[in-house]
Amino acid sequence: MIGAIAVILSLLAGSYFRQAALNAQMDSLSRVIEVASQEMLKEVRRHTFDLGMKLGHSKELIHAVKTVEENGGHKQLVELLDDPFVNGFVGFSSIDLEKIRIYSLQLELIAQSSAGTEALDGQLSDHMAELVRKRRHTERLKAVDALWISTEGPQFSTLVPLGGLRPTGYLEIIVNPVFNLPDIGKITQTPVNIFSMAGIQISDDDQEITDNYLPVEFTLLASDGQPAFRVVGYEDVDKLNRKMEETQIITISGFLLLSLSTLLGALWLFNRFLFTPLSKMVADMEQVSHGKLDLTVNNKGLREFHVLADAFNSMSDQVRMRTNDLERLLDMGDSAIMCFDHDKEAVYVNKATTRLLGYSNDEFADLDLADLFTDDITQLMMHSAVADSSGQKRLHTSLTCKHKDGHEFQITAVINCIDVMGQSGYAIALDTASDNQAKMSGQSEQRLDAVEQSLSSLLEFARNNPRLMSGAGNIGLHEPMGETQKILTREQAVNVMGLALACWEHDLGKSKLELAEESKIWPVYIDKSTPTTRTLDKYLKLDSCPKNPRNQRVIDTAEFVLRIMSNRTTVGRKKLQDALDAFRLLLSGMKSAGK
Amino acid sequence: MVIQVFYRFFIYPDIKLSLISILLLFSSGLSAEDKPHAPENIEGARIVSAEEAIDLILNTPDLIVIDARKKTEFVKGHIEGAINMLNTKMQRDDLEKVAADKSGPILFYCNGTRCMRSADAIKKAKKWGYTNLIWFRGGWKEWTDKRLPVVTD
Repeated sequence: MIGAIAVILSLLAGSYFRQAALNAQMDSLSRVIEVASQEMLKEVRRHTFDLGMKLGHSKELIHAVKTVEENGGHKQLVELLDDPFVNGFVGFSSIDLEKIRIYSLQLELIAQSSAGTEALDGQLSDHMAELVRKRRHTERLKAVDALWISTEGPQFSTLVPLGGLRPTGYLEIIVNPVFNLPDIGKITQTPVNIFSMAGIQISDDDQEITDNYLPVEFTLLASDGQPAFRVVGYEDVDKLNRKMEETQIITISGFLLLSLSTLLGALWLFNRFLFTPLSKMVADMEQVSHGKLDLTVNNKGLREFHVLADAFNSMSDQVRMRTNDLERLLDMGDSAIMCFDHDKEAVYVNKATTRLLGYSNDEFADLDLADLFTDDITQLMMHSAVADSSGQKRLHTSLTCKHKDGHEFQITAVINCIDVMGQSGYAIALDTASDNQAKMSGQSEQRLDAVEQSLSSLLEFARNNPRLMSGAGNIGLHEPMGETQKILTREQAVNVMGLALACWEHDLGKSKLELAEESKIWPVYIDKSTPTTRTLDKYLKLDSCPKNPRNQRVIDTAEFVLRIMSNRTTVGRKKLQDALDAFRLLLSGMKSAGK
Repeated sequence: MVIQVFYRFFIYPDIKLSLISILLLFSSGLSAEDKPHAPENIEGARIVSAEEAIDLILNTPDLIVIDARKKTEFVKGHIEGAINMLNTKMQRDDLEKVAADKSGPILFYCNGTRCMRSADAIKKAKKWGYTNLIWFRGGWKEWTDKRLPVVTD
C-alpha cells in the first residue's frame, strides 16, 4: 500500500516536474529566438548602414541629387541608384536589396532605383517618417532603422543622411528581411520554421521534425508593434525525456525498495515480537490443556504476552493445585467412591474402588452399574424417598458387589443422586473398612458430602479437559452427541465387531475367548470358574451395546483381526475392511461436525 | 522557481555550462575592469559629446579634427574631415603642419573611454603649446553607437 502510494506520488511529481521543465525550456527557447532575431536584424542593419554610408558620401550621387532638376538629371540619378544592383557592393550576398530611394530633407521622394521590386508604393513608411520628423538638429543626422509592413509584406529599411554631416537629403536602403530569417536557426542551432502572419510558410528547415521536438513560437514584431513574422523553433526534448524517465525509474525503484525493506522489517518485527511468541504460547497452552499442567507457558515477547502468559501460568497452577486436592480428597481413606452417568456407565472411580472390585481403571470404562452390582440402583433410588437438608436424594443401604474374579459380597453404601453434565447420575461410596453401617455414618459420610460438593466442578473440569484427570484417565466423559449420531455409531460399532468376530471364527477358526486373550483389547472375566468375555459380548448386540461405545477398542479389534488375516483374501475380510472404513468415516465426520 | 533552478542545474547540463560560461565571462569582466580608463578629464582640454562635436564641426570652420587611432581603424571608418595621426607617431612638426595656429581649436578622439590614445595626444599637444584643445572622450564608440554619419575609405 505504502509502495503503491509512493509510486503514484512519484509519477505525479515526475509529471509535474516534466511539465515545469518543458515550460522552462519553452521560455528559454523563446528568449533565445528573440535574441537571435535581434541579432539577425542587427546584422542586416550593419550591412544597410555600410551601404548607406558609402552611397551617402558619394560625391557623384550628391551632385546628381543637386542637379536632379536639370535635363537628364533624374535619369542619371536613377542610374547611380541602380549601380549597386548591377555592380554589387560589400555585403551584397548578405542581404536581399529591394530598393534604394532618395528623399529631400522634407522627406519627399526625389528618386528611387528602377532595379529591385516595383511593388512598393514609393513612400517612406509612416513610422520612419514620424521618427525623423520628431528629431531636431544633430539628431536628424542619426541613421534610422525600421522593420515595417508594406503591401508586399514586411520590409527592413535604413535611412541615412545623404551628404554626411551636411546633408542634402536622405537615402533609404530597403531590403527583404525574409532573406535573413533562416539565420535565426543558425544562431539558435535548432530547427526553425518561419511563417508570415497570414500563415504562409516562408522558410522551412531541412531537418526532420520528429515527435521528440517541442515547438516553441515567437512572434517577431515590426518597429511600430505590428506582428511581422511567426517564428517556430523546435527544441529537442528527447534528452529531457530520457533524463526524466531515468530519474523516474530511479525514484520509483528507490521508493519500492524503501517500501519493500520497510515491509520486510515490519514483518520481521511482527514475527520476532508477535507471531513467534504467540505461536510458542499457543503451543504451550495446548500442551497444558492436554494435561501437562506442570508446563510453564513461555512468557517472552511483548509486555502484553508476558502478562497473558503469567496469568495463564497462574491459572494452570491453581487448576493443578485444585485437581491434586480433589484427587487427594477422593483417594483419601478406604472408602470406594464411584460415579455413574445418566447411562449408568462409570465415569469416575477412585483407587479404593479398583482395589475393592479388582478392575483396572481401563476396565471400568466398559462397565456399568449392572456389571458391578446385583442390585438395581435405579429402582432403589426411585423407591427411596430419603432427602437430605438440601433436598437431594441420599440412600444408606447395603449393596451386593460383583468382583472381577466372579465372587459377590455385601457392603454398606451411601448412594447419592448427583448432577453429571446436566443429567442425573449417581455417586456411590462403599465402606471397605467395615460392613458396620454405624461406622459409615461418621467420617466417611462427611467426606462424601465434600466429594459431592466438589464433584460437580471436578466433572465439569474433566469434561472440558478429559486428559487432566489422571485418576480417571481412561474413563473419559463423552461429548454430548446427537441421538441420531449415537445410534449410527452404535450400529456401526456392533456391525464392525460382528464382522470382526465372524472373520475370526470362520476364517481363522478361533473362538471369541481367544480373540479377547490374544488381542488383549477386551477383558476376560471369571464367572463361577468359567472365563467369560462380558464386555466384548455387549458390543455384539445392539441392545446390549453401551450407549457410548469405546470406538477405539472397536477399531483396534477390527485392525487386529485384519492384521492376523493379512495373507488371506476372503469375502468376510473385505466386508470387515469396508465396514471399518465406513466406521472411521462416520467418526471423522462426527468429529469435524463437533468442531 | 526552485524547480526551474533544480532542472537547470541537474537536468540540463547545457544550461549549467551556460551559467558556468557566464561566470567565466563575469570573471573576465573583472579583469577588464582592471584595464585603465581614459582620464575623466585633462587639464587644459574641454570635453565634448558627439552632438557637441558635430556642432563644432558644422559651426567652426577652422576646427581641426585629429583621429588618434591606428591607420587600419581609420580606414574602416572615421568622422568626416578627420585627420589620422596615431598618438605614438604624432610629432610636433606633424601637428604644426595641420594646425599652425596654436590657439586654434583642435578636437581629438580615439576609440572611446577605454582608449588612452587621444588623451595622450592631447597631453602632447598641450606640451607643445596648443591652448584650445577639445577632447571627444566618447570617441568612435559613442559616434557609431549613435549611428552618426561615418566616412569609409
